[in-house]
Amino acid sequence: MSAPALRKPRFDRNSPLYLAWRRFLKNKPGVVSLWVLAVLYLTALFAGFLAPYNLTTQHPDAVYQPPQRVRIVHEGRLMRPFVYPMKKERDPVTFINTFVEDKTRPTPIRFFIRQGEPYSFLGLKTDLHLFGVPYSEGYFFPLGSDQFGRDLFSRILVGSQVSLTVGVIGVLISFAIGILLGGISGYFGGWVDTVIQRVTEVLLSIPRLPILMALSTVIPASWPSTYVYLGIIAVLSFIGWAGLARVVRGQVLGARDLDYVTAARAIGASDLRIILRHITPNLTSYLIVTATLALPGYIIGESALSFLGLGIKEPMASWGLLLKDAQNFQSLNLYPWLLTPGILIFVAVLAYNFFGDALRDAADVRSVD
Amino acid sequence: MSKRRAVWLAGLLALGTIALAQPKTVTGYGNLGVAPGKAGGSLTLALGSAPQTLFYYGAVDSAIQALANQMFDGLIEYNLGNYKIEPGLAVSWSIGGGSKVYTFNLRRGVKWHDGRDFTADDVVFTYSQIVANPEARGGDAGNFAGVKIEKLDPYKVRFTLPKPAPAFIHYMRLPIMPKHKLLPFSQEGGKAPAEINNAWPTNVNPQEVVGTGPFRLQSYTAGQQITLVKNPDYWKRDAEGTALPYLDRLQYLIITDSQARVAQFLAGNLGQINITGAEFPDLKRREVQGAPFKVVQFRALFGSPPHLAFNFDAKNPDLARLFRNSDFRRAIQFAVNRQRVIEDVYNGLAELPGNGMAPVSEWYYDTRKLLGTYDLKAANAALDKLGLKRGPDGIRLLPSGKPLEFTLTYGSNSAAFTGIATILQNDLRQVGVKVNLQGILAANLLSTGRGKDWEAIILGLGDQPDPELRTPIWKPGGALYYWHQSTQPATPEGAPQFNNFLPWEKEIYDIWEKAASTTNVTQRKALYDRWQAIFAREAMVIMIAKEYAAGAVSNRYGNYVYSLGVIPGYNPVPLMFQR
Amino acid sequence: MWTFVFKRFLVAIPTLLLISVLVFAVIQLQPGGFLENMLEDPRVSRETVERIRQQYLLDQPVWVQYVNWLAGVVRGDFGYSFLNNRPVSELIWERLGWTVFLALVTIFATWVIAIPLGIYTALRRHGFGATLANFIGYFGLATPDFLVALLLIFAVLSAGGTSVGGLFSPQYIDAPWSWAKVVDMLGHLWIPIIVIGLDGTASIMRQMRANMLDVLSQDYVRTARSKGLAERVVLWKHAVRNAINPLISIAGLSLPNLISSTIIASIVLNLPTIGPFLYDSLLNKDQYVVMALLMMSAVLLMIGNLLADLALAWADPRIRYE
Repeated sequence: MSAPALRKPRFDRNSPLYLAWRRFLKNKPGVVSLWVLAVLYLTALFAGFLAPYNLTTQHPDAVYQPPQRVRIVHEGRLMRPFVYPMKKERDPVTFINTFVEDKTRPTPIRFFIRQGEPYSFLGLKTDLHLFGVPYSEGYFFPLGSDQFGRDLFSRILVGSQVSLTVGVIGVLISFAIGILLGGISGYFGGWVDTVIQRVTEVLLSIPRLPILMALSTVIPASWPSTYVYLGIIAVLSFIGWAGLARVVRGQVLGARDLDYVTAARAIGASDLRIILRHITPNLTSYLIVTATLALPGYIIGESALSFLGLGIKEPMASWGLLLKDAQNFQSLNLYPWLLTPGILIFVAVLAYNFFGDALRDAADVRSVD
Repeated sequence: MSKRRAVWLAGLLALGTIALAQPKTVTGYGNLGVAPGKAGGSLTLALGSAPQTLFYYGAVDSAIQALANQMFDGLIEYNLGNYKIEPGLAVSWSIGGGSKVYTFNLRRGVKWHDGRDFTADDVVFTYSQIVANPEARGGDAGNFAGVKIEKLDPYKVRFTLPKPAPAFIHYMRLPIMPKHKLLPFSQEGGKAPAEINNAWPTNVNPQEVVGTGPFRLQSYTAGQQITLVKNPDYWKRDAEGTALPYLDRLQYLIITDSQARVAQFLAGNLGQINITGAEFPDLKRREVQGAPFKVVQFRALFGSPPHLAFNFDAKNPDLARLFRNSDFRRAIQFAVNRQRVIEDVYNGLAELPGNGMAPVSEWYYDTRKLLGTYDLKAANAALDKLGLKRGPDGIRLLPSGKPLEFTLTYGSNSAAFTGIATILQNDLRQVGVKVNLQGILAANLLSTGRGKDWEAIILGLGDQPDPELRTPIWKPGGALYYWHQSTQPATPEGAPQFNNFLPWEKEIYDIWEKAASTTNVTQRKALYDRWQAIFAREAMVIMIAKEYAAGAVSNRYGNYVYSLGVIPGYNPVPLMFQR
Repeated sequence: MWTFVFKRFLVAIPTLLLISVLVFAVIQLQPGGFLENMLEDPRVSRETVERIRQQYLLDQPVWVQYVNWLAGVVRGDFGYSFLNNRPVSELIWERLGWTVFLALVTIFATWVIAIPLGIYTALRRHGFGATLANFIGYFGLATPDFLVALLLIFAVLSAGGTSVGGLFSPQYIDAPWSWAKVVDMLGHLWIPIIVIGLDGTASIMRQMRANMLDVLSQDYVRTARSKGLAERVVLWKHAVRNAINPLISIAGLSLPNLISSTIIASIVLNLPTIGPFLYDSLLNKDQYVVMALLMMSAVLLMIGNLLADLALAWADPRIRYE
């Protein structure tokens, strides 16, 4: 998402884009957000490498293990980073698992370690992980483990691939539809306009959540989980495009009679060409800002669906699905580390909002919601 | 009439009622911790959903079942300790005529909540006009087809069956309805059969809803709360002769979300809740730390233990052939880590399952040895023996050369089902079987199972006190024998398709046929024992675990006996009292 | 103006028809349904299920069911709830009161908090208070409402409170109105207001801030200032009035939230609104209830839009509907 803004401007120092970029750089929260987003997407890209464990590897003897602290001091001596293995004990009355650190066995963390099931990265299969404790020596769960002894850290990393892309793909789809239909509607007017306007009005008049729920139960049960993921994106964008189409139409209506458009028409440019080459670029800054601000809605939407058991399903993971495990009092009390995915949802949505606001201020687009 | 004479008459009448009344003394629950209580107080409970109607037979709905348990009585009821059948509105009964004639002597002096006498007319009306009415949504017409119901005298009724049905006595737990209130909705009252469902909708005047039960309906606030008040004329007494129920008021808050229930309980707004194994540790810890409530667990008879079923008629012919093969299902069973499911999914609050009958049931046959133990080596060996060789990526290959993979459907909004599915997938992968999980809403599981578009599924079907009550599930060709649908009748009224039966299914079918007309308890038990043994031996479906019933109750209340789910005829609430 | 209203009304009819077709189609696409699950009960036989299917015309083709429903609506009959065996309109009516109350209170609270905060953050762009308000606003936007609900309940419980769900303590639910009941309700009300209103407050606040900044840089504000008008007059008479106008159309859009936006919050907080009723009906495929509620919310949206347009015309002298 951040690519257009990051690219070094090729224009002269007075070009609008360069000036906007300068304005953007002055906005501290915006710049910080951009960095946060860059880090989040990079970790999502390298999830397989950064995650010490596989998404679904279970460890029955380490159920609900709390996060392990990385230490460097063992019995008063400085060591390379290590963790103490944890031993599970079950309270016979309350059935609560408690974990005690085994302080006699410091287990060093290895870097660039090769172990576990190979994952594929950019088409090549590898089992190289940035860090980890050899499986034979014990476990290292930086953020604790879940009900099945799966490493929460690894699951969050892999889940971010879903959560962070749902919005991007969803926005792209709904923008593609929205720009095309909104553009056609505004440019041609007449009955085409009426029909498209009617359809968007219909879509906008249907309450969002119920229709999301209804549609996500329609996703065929026999689909594999990747299709379900795409299905959920489709459902989310099916709802999302209408509002955009309406706004684009308004902008196109305004741009239609501008001089350069009339000129293009006069030299015989095709309608589609005029919409795509002459009118749409005029809206670019506006669209980018809208996209950035629409993205968090998809992330929150996915988590709401997952909360109702209608979103991403096992064995895939998303932040919403992971957060579902923390949605009860026993987890808040006994396993508070399960809330981490919620914090990440918060951070990502916040970053998008700040980033979007900064872009808006920089691009000076006024009428954006 | 002079005042004096009126008093005299009233006194005489009262005396007469006492002489005629036949209260039931509830004793013998000392081992459940039941002690004499004191009258008064109120208790607030939770209902998981709003009632769809206030007429028990108007809907199949768990909320009205829970309420009806407090407002109505059946002719018989269950012992709270051992689930044996005890007298309810009937004080005694006899079975004769080759087990086809049931005669019930009704309890005298029982009053409806509006003061009218309960008589044989009500019983005959309930069974002939409501239960046997095929249009009644919550009726039981299937089991009362051809049953003749007669009133012999005001306190005696007789049921004459077309053929012996040994579980028939259990159908007598159904709540008896007041004829004088419901006649206008019945065929006898000149209405169409379906009209009975319109009786007592949720906006009915509470005065109209009269029963014989321990509590009477006082008010219903739509979607929020139901208030019941004590029936002062109830026919039960405790060991010391104090009238039951002890409580003056019984309130139900309608709370859908289980977390909201726990919150309301912790805040002290609910007197008791039913909890899951996952909720147990946190609440138990609070109890240990001195919170004013107790968390208890019971082995449960009722409830729906999950099982893993394979579709014998799967669309993929390779898989269908495999799924029909008992050796395959037994091999899979070796990879089912029941102990871990009990530990991690139910937090230790579950036990090894029975096969079709709960382990606490008197009909249970100990099949634990036949269930096999978790042993991945044995699973591998058994799969090897079936000729399913491992492919290059470790996944076994079907005879056709395709990898052995199937989808496993589970309820994604049920924590327990999700847990079981996840564990199964993990273990099966280790024996070279690839499982693709497919989560759907738990409410849609049964309809999915009854359809054709699934390969394996995790589903729970409710346990009942008598195997015969579950005939549609366990008898091959039954309406809920969903894993082998090609045995089911081709037409609704037709016979099962015997040509599609597997040999052991035929054997089970014959056992059920025979048991349905066997009245001798020992012989019946022997027949059902054999069924459970075949069930387990063939791993017809793979039973996973049987969850305990767990509940939490505030220390303000005494005599708490927990029952899982709502089942007509099992009602410990009248014994509860406020300290 | 009345011709305008009448025209809008005429246009609304085909739109509503289209919506109803679409919604009906989506409901029909769903698998399962309440009839299938009835079979699990040992009492229910296949015959009973078939009878009910026929009774509700569920054995008919989908378009027949739709036409029947439409014919009923024209006659003012919104159909029957399968689950409750009662007319849909009655059931909705029973639950409407609290839904409307809660929505109005929330909308009111949202606006009363959001507008001043928006103005404040626009005027003191870089102050500490504004940063804090902005952050709280963003927190509202960035946290899923079910999580906010759970955390609030958890906090109340940990603090020893008892108002952890619903609108009343159990003893007040069907008690007659009294001062104590009102107090009890206020003790419960703040949680749902926060959970449902946080999202809206945040977005209105941001909008108001943006509008204010926009307006403050306009020529007429500068003119007013240079004329020597008191800053207060400039602010309230010129800036705020003009900045609020665009928000009026948003107010219209918040009407249908009465029904749908409270679903998750109502489930978690156990509120007696229509939300959970709609959720149940969706899951059980109680189709006429779903139809009625979704159509109601569509109608509300249209009414809201119309009202907003009229209010805008009243507030902004530049707009005229002839």
